[in-house]
Amino acid sequence: MTKHLLMGNQAFAHAALEAGVRVVAGYPGTPSSELVETVAALHADGSAQGVHVEWSTNEKAALELAAGAAYCGERVLFTCKQVGLNVASDALMSLNYVGVKGGTVLFVADDPGPISSQTEQDTRRFASFAKVPVLDPATPEQGFAMMQAAFDLSERYRTPVIVRPTTRVCHASTFFDVADTTHARPVPEEGFEPDPKWIIFPRRAYQGHGEIIERLNKMAKDFVHDEQFAQFNVMFDGGAGAGAGANGGAAADGGAGAGAAADGGAGAGAAAGAGVGAAADGAADGDAGAGARANGGAAAGAGAGAGPAVQPAHKPRLGIVAGGISAAYAQDALAELERRAHAAGITLPAYRFWQVGTPYPFPNELATTFAQGLERIIVFEELDSVLEDELLRHAGRTHARYEVLGKYTHDTRDRGENDLDDTMLRLANFLGVDGLVGCMSLSEAPEELAALAPARPPLLCAGCPHRGSFYAVKRALGKTPAVLCGDIGCYTLGNAAPLDAIDTCLCMGAGITMAQGFAVAEPDKKQVAFVGDSTFFASGLTGVANAVYNGHDVTICVLDNSTTAMTGSQPHPGTGVTLMGPRREPISIEAVLRALGVTCIEHADPLNLEASISAAQRAIDFAGPAAIIFKSPCIQIIKPGVPAEIDTTLCTGCKKCITEIGCPGIGFDTQARGEKSKDRGQAFVDPTLCNGCNLCTQVCPFHAIKPGMSPEVMAKASASAAETSPEGKEATR
Amino acid sequence: MINILLAGVGGQGTVLAAKVLAQAAQDKGWNVRTAETIGMAQRGGNVVSHVRMGDAGESVLSPLLGRKGADLIIAFEPGEAARVVPYLAPGGTLVSATSALQPVTAALSKKPYVAADLVAGIERALAQTSQTFVPIDDAALCAQVGSRKVLNTILLASALSQTDVALTLDDLRDAIRACVKPRFVGMNLEAIDLVDEL
Repeated sequence: MTKHLLMGNQAFAHAALEAGVRVVAGYPGTPSSELVETVAALHADGSAQGVHVEWSTNEKAALELAAGAAYCGERVLFTCKQVGLNVASDALMSLNYVGVKGGTVLFVADDPGPISSQTEQDTRRFASFAKVPVLDPATPEQGFAMMQAAFDLSERYRTPVIVRPTTRVCHASTFFDVADTTHARPVPEEGFEPDPKWIIFPRRAYQGHGEIIERLNKMAKDFVHDEQFAQFNVMFDGGAGAGAGANGGAAADGGAGAGAAADGGAGAGAAAGAGVGAAADGAADGDAGAGARANGGAAAGAGAGAGPAVQPAHKPRLGIVAGGISAAYAQDALAELERRAHAAGITLPAYRFWQVGTPYPFPNELATTFAQGLERIIVFEELDSVLEDELLRHAGRTHARYEVLGKYTHDTRDRGENDLDDTMLRLANFLGVDGLVGCMSLSEAPEELAALAPARPPLLCAGCPHRGSFYAVKRALGKTPAVLCGDIGCYTLGNAAPLDAIDTCLCMGAGITMAQGFAVAEPDKKQVAFVGDSTFFASGLTGVANAVYNGHDVTICVLDNSTTAMTGSQPHPGTGVTLMGPRREPISIEAVLRALGVTCIEHADPLNLEASISAAQRAIDFAGPAAIIFKSPCIQIIKPGVPAEIDTTLCTGCKKCITEIGCPGIGFDTQARGEKSKDRGQAFVDPTLCNGCNLCTQVCPFHAIKPGMSPEVMAKASASAAETSPEGKEATR
Repeated sequence: MINILLAGVGGQGTVLAAKVLAQAAQDKGWNVRTAETIGMAQRGGNVVSHVRMGDAGESVLSPLLGRKGADLIIAFEPGEAARVVPYLAPGGTLVSATSALQPVTAALSKKPYVAADLVAGIERALAQTSQTFVPIDDAALCAQVGSRKVLNTILLASALSQTDVALTLDDLRDAIRACVKPRFVGMNLEAIDLVDEL
């Protein structure tokens, strides 16, 4: 065991490896990607023994591969972001009917905000649609424990299990004690046992549906009574009386105690934490390590299983329900309110808190325990109103009189992220102690200052080859009416000024196929689709086949930068690099296009402007499906070249380099003076950003931007007094 | 509880700085939690890291701190300092580098981005409050070490030496040794010494 500062996703990887996972497969997508990368790194350095890890072509491929291995009895882990599950959903829906043998866990990361996603869809909702259990962690520590419990749950009921963290859990870091070496659980001796049950037929589906209903009922009970899962449903009473009662401090202190448990819990000696915290510590934070589970869980278990652990002097009439990261916000906010109340010499009214860590199947029995005596319940959750719906349903079924406040009643945010401030404000209001947050309103001065900060929207990097591809296509089109269909990846940023080269973006691979719809509807316009190399393999091929088969006149621009750039430079089938080590023959994009029947295929280096424009021209003029492969590596995976230089005697201050291509590496100095620029100011190259792609040198109408010269080239140049060729520059990239 | 916010531009080293702080807190036996903005925040975008330390043994569950919640803000660029001023707690300290990074939006827009105006604005605004502003001449200090790579260490060292956060420069030295690639340790220790001698 060694203590490491781990990001949530890294911790989940360790948890799965310690649980003996044998196959890990996924497709990159923020905020999920680091899990597979961590497994790959641990495999590469020899500490994760016996594991197979891969980036699959897309999510559907990954889940189907995982299913095959699980049928043999191996523990498997599938990873994706929320929209990735849409791609894998065909497999998931049937897989749940068929069932599995080896523990099958789907790690699906949701992205409230959204911060880096197309939708704010809620995987808890997807779980109930697919009738698959889902665990919802509030912290990385809890996620660690959930990941391990998920494998057990999966094997107990032969069901796939979803673990659904959100961005703030995936990307939060804290210290964990993790095993130095892990060993994948070997395939059981009998391996895959052929049986009609593995074949999804209508009859099998009817039978499987029955099995699903039965096991969901059992799991809902396990979530209440089985300590391994009940620990994720943290319940405690706080407020009036609780502070002086059995808790040995306010609920806030209970929360504080959780911290002690957190570090202990992450490691071997979690017992230290068990005595410290009140009910809150058990599941919220305490039990990352297996040993911790019994101790940390005991406190929570008391609350979860047998009713609220702490009996306050006054029975609470107010209830607080929270899921995921909102449970962390709510507990921190309650702790802060307790502190402020203490300082102000008042007590908070009695309340009861419940973190629902197992939202589906919903533990109704716990809801009944929780709701005892409550008159009003407020629900904090991000994305959909999943818990709110369950409580409303529970109230209806039990004819309970409690009122549910949440998204429907506009008492909590109906979209985007929750946060500490908002949660505290709403809780103070709910508890009738608004005065404790009276100074929350912000003075204007800081807000005015913040407004003065320059906008820094995400942009294509300085030297990004996509910039050249977009610019060349725009130049080739000139004033010809056209629709430019984009896709998912860095190159969606081609929509920004001044390139303004993306008209649509829908979902993975959609650009190619949508362009065909535009071609049918608006045949007088040119239809151009941009697709990245990773997206091309993930979801682009069917669109290309469709264009050829149905004869659509579209131009497909494959932006081949030899990596999956947006999600952090993962390899893909076109790179030949695998996570297991051996390099494969890269799959040629051109060969694929040709095999699919595309006859007009152009090639261009997007950093060579003239050649790119003429290649784009030929492809666009071709009647029928045509393709251009713009090939140049992502600047994140190559060594930077020498920054370009402005010849201040030639720069006229026309700003064309800025208004045409908008590279972050070029700025404008209004104070600069030159022979040609007079008092207009001049462009300047920021050498810390410019990586010497030299696109700007081809854009400047006055040849005022020159390729920078490396020390070697300069020495050579001065020696031979010969002019440096652009090719010399290229070689250094 | 000590709440620290690090604000900068992608590529400036905020993430590593957060790691170093987390390590220092861990070495003290405190609970610590950090969070980063990553994903769409590619090079050139603004990035924020949150570091929350339970220095009195208390738990930390939420990885993000709230508005008016930062006891200490370390800004790597003056524009980014201005952006996060609303997060500064009453009585908190804002330590900021003074050299600017020009965004493309400023080059495209007619309104130039003048960092000195922002620095003066922050100074003026905070002078009327219980908060403290500490501008750092990062360009001069980095030049003395001979590399912009030590910007994060210079800012961390300046922040710790200017506030009553219970982490010393020696704690920082230990954390640097634990977190930074061996070949860069010397350079970073030199940067701390430089700040120490000021």
